[in-house]
Amino acid sequence: MTDTFRVALAGNPNTGKSTIFNALTGANQHVGNWPGKTVVRRSGWFVHRDTTFEVVDLPGTYSLSAFSPDEEVARDYIVRTQPDLVVNVLDVTNLERNLYLTAQILETNAPLLLVLNMQDLALRRGYRVDYEKLSQLLGGVPIVPAAAAKGDGIGALRDMLWHLLQHVVPNETPINSLPGENDHVAFCPHCRAL
Amino acid sequence: MLLSAPTAVRYSANLEAEIKSLERLIETLPQINGRYPSRWLAIQLLEGDTRLFAEWGEAEQGVLETAVAAAHTRLQAHYGDDVDLALTDERYLFVHELVEQVLTAPREQWSLSDRIDRIVTNRWLGIPIFMALMYLVFNLVQNVSTPYLDWVDGVISGPLTEWTIAVFTFLHAPGWFISLLTDGILAGVGGVLVFLPGLLVMYLALAVLEDTGYLARAAFVMDQLMSKLGLHGRSFVPMILGFGCNVPAIYATRTIESRPARILTGMLIPFMSCSARLPVYVVFGLAFFPRSGDLVIWSLYLMGIVIAALVGLVLSRTIFKHEVAGILVMEMPAYRWPSPKRVLQYTWHESASFVRKAGSFILVGTAVFWLLLHLPWGVTDVRQSWFGRASGAVAPILAPAGFGEWQASGALLTGLLAKEMVVSTLSQVYVGEDGGGEAETAVSAFSWSQVGDIVVGFGAATLDAGKQLLETLTPGITLFPNDEDGTGAELTLALRRSFTPLSAFAFLVFVLLYIPCIATIGAQIQEYGWRWALLSVIIMLIVPWTLAVIVYQGGQLFGLA
Repeated sequence: MTDTFRVALAGNPNTGKSTIFNALTGANQHVGNWPGKTVVRRSGWFVHRDTTFEVVDLPGTYSLSAFSPDEEVARDYIVRTQPDLVVNVLDVTNLERNLYLTAQILETNAPLLLVLNMQDLALRRGYRVDYEKLSQLLGGVPIVPAAAAKGDGIGALRDMLWHLLQHVVPNETPINSLPGENDHVAFCPHCRAL
Repeated sequence: MLLSAPTAVRYSANLEAEIKSLERLIETLPQINGRYPSRWLAIQLLEGDTRLFAEWGEAEQGVLETAVAAAHTRLQAHYGDDVDLALTDERYLFVHELVEQVLTAPREQWSLSDRIDRIVTNRWLGIPIFMALMYLVFNLVQNVSTPYLDWVDGVISGPLTEWTIAVFTFLHAPGWFISLLTDGILAGVGGVLVFLPGLLVMYLALAVLEDTGYLARAAFVMDQLMSKLGLHGRSFVPMILGFGCNVPAIYATRTIESRPARILTGMLIPFMSCSARLPVYVVFGLAFFPRSGDLVIWSLYLMGIVIAALVGLVLSRTIFKHEVAGILVMEMPAYRWPSPKRVLQYTWHESASFVRKAGSFILVGTAVFWLLLHLPWGVTDVRQSWFGRASGAVAPILAPAGFGEWQASGALLTGLLAKEMVVSTLSQVYVGEDGGGEAETAVSAFSWSQVGDIVVGFGAATLDAGKQLLETLTPGITLFPNDEDGTGAELTLALRRSFTPLSAFAFLVFVLLYIPCIATIGAQIQEYGWRWALLSVIIMLIVPWTLAVIVYQGGQLFGLA
């Protein structure tokens, strides 16, 4: 498989988006500017199971309203460049505020994956999230729980990306145990192959 | 598409009807259809986003504008003029209901973060706490970096220069080439590197403050004050950075969301007295205000802030008149312990980009300056060089401010490269080429003891820094523990012959307010474009001249000399 898949990381500031970006791409990073903007553009790549993924770390924003250069960059990338997948990183301890951006990304119709980050903090504070239900309510958006600061969930995210983009996921079959990670079960109940 | 279409927000029936009809209209416009998701575009248009109009032909633009206006009229009965707010509200409602169904949280309670915030962002305590923290940071920067600064300076102007001379003399390189290498390039590189210790400490301190989450509170606390200048609370941190070095401060304005506010902040930053100006204040303070030197220096820092505020007031009411600063909406991330890895990464990244960007400018600048000093070819008297002649030409303009001698204007000209060069130029033209002559140093060759000295010197600097660090954390610190060295005394005498206390103060006011250095302008060009940088340069010439003249002439009126 020689295809390269383009994955964009979106999310509010302080959600651990950059941590996830670093964990995914390691040393394979390129830092520059977005064309015509002074907004920093960070991109990188990684290979997982013989598939190359190009990752673009979009600026952290609270909305896609294009009020600031950061928002404009994020929104233009999602709407115009149209990556193969938008990975929306959320802070579970601030789920309500973080989901606003998600609601806006959903409106762009972009293929979406949610990473619910800061899982460890949420657990310690006594938050419980019903991921299966969240995924259902959003019409089958795949979800990967993670605690990126500790490296948890990164393996599951890689596998999920590979499953979604490279491998055809059988209809209605939850991926309950992805290899590599046992504590953080990523699932995708309603992914359909087209 | 690879994935199933997810479920997005369903709006109220009347909004959905308008979205649907706009969607259908978009799909009939071949110019636009397919370029964006049509439902998304319909919602954007209803929200009043006109930014995308510019990308289409006039025909499509007209059709859509009419349709959107009609939709707004139909919706007016329900939502008034706030259709955009209605859409936002419903999105929040969607999210809220979603969260209700999937999240079980413990009963809401005041977290430690919230409790800290009640004190730190308190209406009365917020600003004093912020000021106290900033004072601590600056003491830290000053005290910890000074020993390293001396060390870097010593290594570059000492052994490194001597070795270069020795090596190239051995290779029979022409004298002018060695002079370009040592007086030009090495001195220039050194000029950048001496700031590095201070900047490292400053970036480290700021990274810690940022990573703990405090810096977000600082911006919030300062917002009210800054909004009077047409700025955001966010503008405050870059301006604070400006006290260390204007160049990274200009780059730091990237965190400000609105472009006008960003540019305005970038134009005010140069009035923040950067650390390179301090040596000039100290030298003049020692010569003319031996007893009240600290006060003079403080008054200069304060004057910089006041002038920045005034210029900000004027600009925000003239050039940036129509640009509303907007409301500051920002997140207060929960406090957390700083992660050493993130802090070090930030420090490294910022310092490296400073060295890269400032370094390239200074390198070119020093080479040009060296050329100006040595042209026409074979010139021996500094005054006859292009540099001397240019200084002479500028001098009369500065006469009303009380320092119309070519030496003073020459020092100001070299100050364009880096402010601390004002001092070295003054000592060069007043005291003359004393010590460190080429013939003398060319004899000394490489010796291992010098390497030893460098290592020992670094150890001593570290020890010193540690001691200073302890002093910083204990009250009762002396702010400027400078001692007068030999050449300093000579310079003091020369300065006293050429300046009066009044003209010296006017000179310092000028040094405070005029163009900080070419690297700052370079940063402005890069961040805001040529035109804004040019405007900034013009301001940084008119304001200092006016102020210096007012100080000098006003002082004379009141009988000061």
